Amino acid sequence: MNGHPMKKIPKKPSTPSRETAPAPTAVFGRTTQLDVDNPPPDLYGRPQPDRFMRAVTTFSDLYTPAMGRPLLRRNPRLPAPRARAPLSLVITGHRAVAEEVVELRLADPSGDRLPSWQPGAHLRLILPSGRERHYSLCGDPADRTTYRIAVRRIADGGGGSREIHEELHLGARLTVRRPRNGFAFCGEPRLLLVAGGIGITPLLPMAREAQRRGLDWHLVHAGRSAASMPFTEELRALAPDRVSFRTEDAEGLPTGAELLAAARPGTAVYCCGPTPMLAAVQAAFEASPAAALHYERFGAAPILDGRPFTLQLGQEGPRLPVPADRSALDVLREARPDLPYSCHQGFCGTCRVQLLAGTPEHRDRRLTAEERASGALLPCVSRAAEGETLVLED
Amino acid sequence: MPRTAPEVHADLVLEPRDVTFDWSGLPLHWIPDEPLATHTINVLHLLLPEGERWFIKVFKDALPLITDEQLREEVLGFIGQESIHAEAHQEVLDHLLAQGLDPRPYVRQIAWLFQRVLGEKPKLGPRQRRENIIERVAFVAAIEHFTAFLGNWALNSPGLDRAEADPTMLDLLRWHGAEEVEHRSVAFDLMTHLDPGYLRRVRGMAVSGPLLVHLWVRGVRFLLAADPTLDGRIVPTWRKALDISRRGLLPEPMASLRSGLRYLRRGYHPTQEGSSAQALSYLASSPAARAAAR
Repeated sequence: MNGHPMKKIPKKPSTPSRETAPAPTAVFGRTTQLDVDNPPPDLYGRPQPDRFMRAVTTFSDLYTPAMGRPLLRRNPRLPAPRARAPLSLVITGHRAVAEEVVELRLADPSGDRLPSWQPGAHLRLILPSGRERHYSLCGDPADRTTYRIAVRRIADGGGGSREIHEELHLGARLTVRRPRNGFAFCGEPRLLLVAGGIGITPLLPMAREAQRRGLDWHLVHAGRSAASMPFTEELRALAPDRVSFRTEDAEGLPTGAELLAAARPGTAVYCCGPTPMLAAVQAAFEASPAAALHYERFGAAPILDGRPFTLQLGQEGPRLPVPADRSALDVLREARPDLPYSCHQGFCGTCRVQLLAGTPEHRDRRLTAEERASGALLPCVSRAAEGETLVLED
Repeated sequence: MPRTAPEVHADLVLEPRDVTFDWSGLPLHWIPDEPLATHTINVLHLLLPEGERWFIKVFKDALPLITDEQLREEVLGFIGQESIHAEAHQEVLDHLLAQGLDPRPYVRQIAWLFQRVLGEKPKLGPRQRRENIIERVAFVAAIEHFTAFLGNWALNSPGLDRAEADPTMLDLLRWHGAEEVEHRSVAFDLMTHLDPGYLRRVRGMAVSGPLLVHLWVRGVRFLLAADPTLDGRIVPTWRKALDISRRGLLPEPMASLRSGLRYLRRGYHPTQEGSSAQALSYLASSPAARAAAR
């Protein structure tokens, strides 16, 4: 959301292009195609073929076609690759713990032990509507029968939190993916945990773990108002002198420096909160004495000035409209589920596709001018002008 | 580096991290007065860009064979991380060239090795192609055992600090090493997902292990001969390498060999080696990762 008022006047694509500069070309750049048709010459320029290179080439030319013979194949009696099934859990607790925040407790319907987890881990819930949402686990990892999460209601969000608040009830079943951890707690000796609003959820188990291990820790929780902040009592009960709270209505929005005020040399900072808060902490980090900054990275960067355009798979292929608020990669993956991707931010190059026609707006930091000129495109961030059609190799 | 509790972090979400290195101040012998140690580690820069691009190719080919969603996500994270590694090491090659050490003859051979010798072969039937993909995943899994071993060594190598090695290069080695420790299970888990057979694992190590050692020795000889400041004065020997490793500038050859043998133990799993907590702790403080995040 950029807050610009919508104009009704039909306008030309006069908006500033978000095109980024190409990555610099290096001598050893990816664009240099090495000759792989002729065996490489000797390392030291002697006029003879390289014996080692010749030997490995011969070996591989014999070895590869032998694949699939007995002993050189997968034993057909072994079981086929299997997928780990998601969990089917039942809601055993659903209660308000702060303004607009409900706490959910989930358990196995037959009371079995749940897969273990460590502080910082999250669950992916698949809601009855089909929406999928991540929530950090905020209970005690030692409790192997119950998962606890807390969800703030976001009135103008995608509807997932409203569904949890209004439609889920005690006894309802939910499909849940096993815990994964994108914010692992490393237990450094000196810790500063910085939470903004509902961002307290992953930090609460970290605080408990730090206390259990006898580490030197401090937690700052910033929120809109005291009534909007969950788990305050639980934190106070844990170690009253190690937690501090600040509210926007009393003290105003905290600056990055204020949030990092308790950092000392060697402190490891763990930060979870709204994007502007994380940005403020990142900006203030270099000036603070802290040594390390941990935060959870959330895949895709927000789309700025996105315009709707169209992708076409092959010259004769299907046309896929890309709305202003979705990435070309998201749309493409629906049509080609096996398309690889990784960073969602235009720096790793994994999702690279080949352009056949159309004028793209490159927004990546990865491709060189030569690669762009030859039609390479990173659909995770790159787009096109309104109404443009990008024809991709299928 | 802070000492952290040695616990196993399972089920980590893997995502590539962007990094920025400034190589303008890197001396040719970035461990001062230690050309042999410097060039032994420099072999990494010769092998990795092509090697990691090959990993990516193999793993992309393996994606359609994966039936577990979590493993698939881990493989995608692995691909993204390896792609950033390849680029970072590539930059060092340009720097070597600018300083008069031309690595191209060796890189040319490595490109042939990974693209032609270990690359995709034409005219394979669907079953052979599938077996060939799994076989190459087993090669990657064995190599990843060594990259995790080396990464763990780089994170615990006070000898390099004592020798006043260049801080940017140390950050490259430790950032890369930390991500290798972080994602050390992915290739092994992918291999056992596609083929749980013990023979596949053994073959992976039997091919990759000796090949890697031989490429390394060749690489050290090549770099010492190509270094314009040395005029071929230094001839590498195992005795010298042993001396240097005793001073903490290289992993000990015997420890490396023992590590390779551990891979063949029945109950082996990559999580038994190295500490994710230490690796993630380094990644949260790495200057290159912080420079790119700004």
